[in-house]
Amino acid sequence: MSRERNAQKLAEDHLPLSPATFQVLMALVDDERHGYSIMREATERSDGSVRLGPGTLYGTLKRLLESGLVEEGGERVDPAMGDERRRYYRITDLGMAVARAEARRLDRVVRAARRRKLIGPEPA
Amino acid sequence: MIARERPAELVFRALLRVYPAGFRADYEREMTQIFRDRRREEHGGGSGFWIEVLWDVARSAAAMHADAARAPRNVNNQPRKGTMRRMAILAVLVGLIEVLNASLEGRAGRMNGGDAYSFIGVALGVCAAILLIVAGVALFRRGWSAAGWARVAAIGCAALVVSIRVVQPWMSIFATLLGIGFPIALLLFLYLTKRDGSSMRTTA
Repeated sequence: MSRERNAQKLAEDHLPLSPATFQVLMALVDDERHGYSIMREATERSDGSVRLGPGTLYGTLKRLLESGLVEEGGERVDPAMGDERRRYYRITDLGMAVARAEARRLDRVVRAARRRKLIGPEPA
Repeated sequence: MIARERPAELVFRALLRVYPAGFRADYEREMTQIFRDRRREEHGGGSGFWIEVLWDVARSAAAMHADAARAPRNVNNQPRKGTMRRMAILAVLVGLIEVLNASLEGRAGRMNGGDAYSFIGVALGVCAAILLIVAGVALFRRGWSAAGWARVAAIGCAALVVSIRVVQPWMSIFATLLGIGFPIALLLFLYLTKRDGSSMRTTA
């Protein structure tokens, strides 16, 4: 129990995340991806409202690697993208815990906004 | 297979020189790969594509340099002449973006039957951009000995952008943030690098 609480505390130390950081973590939740795939996933998931440029993407990945939320998963060719080798990135257990903690935090913010009628009720 | 580099890719590689050397060493290949993928996706990319690229480079390079400045320094670090030059190139780039933005706003103003205020706003915008370009060129050519002039130019640029905002309250958020934010980032960079003392002056 205390161990779980410590892990949660450790995850919450990373909050709040910037939108770019949260988008990169969310893109990696299902599968490991290379940079371009992360960029496309973030754009598609946000209906085009988030467009990560190469500088923002790799700046974010560098920080995530340094803080242990993401790790490198080796280099290989993505058959859908030609014959160039690409470096893959995957989320770590800590990264997953941080992404969950951020999602819970955002959920609390949205619920508070609903209570104050800043936004409409949750769609059925 | 030797890949033939296209001019656009060469320009992008030149832009990457504004990032800290360590960051470039780690990610230059991947960033260029992504640049190539995005150009392919956007069928070559027009001016909107390039403005997005320039904005991304300017914003993320400033953040990377701030990170590098905050990181514990190694006494065996390379002399900071390279960092200074990259910041100088960035200042020139931001200055050029501001010139472009001022000309776009000027054109929009003329199309709407521009008045004296819009003319003054454009003129001040061009002056602010020129100050930033002069600061960049001075830092690039003279290194630390031009830091004092660069500070004055950065403060002047930020002050001019504030006054434009007063004359033209409809000035875009992008131009306001860039015009005030970058001079502040430049001042911060000069302050943080100065803290290393006189040894830095000898390396410039």
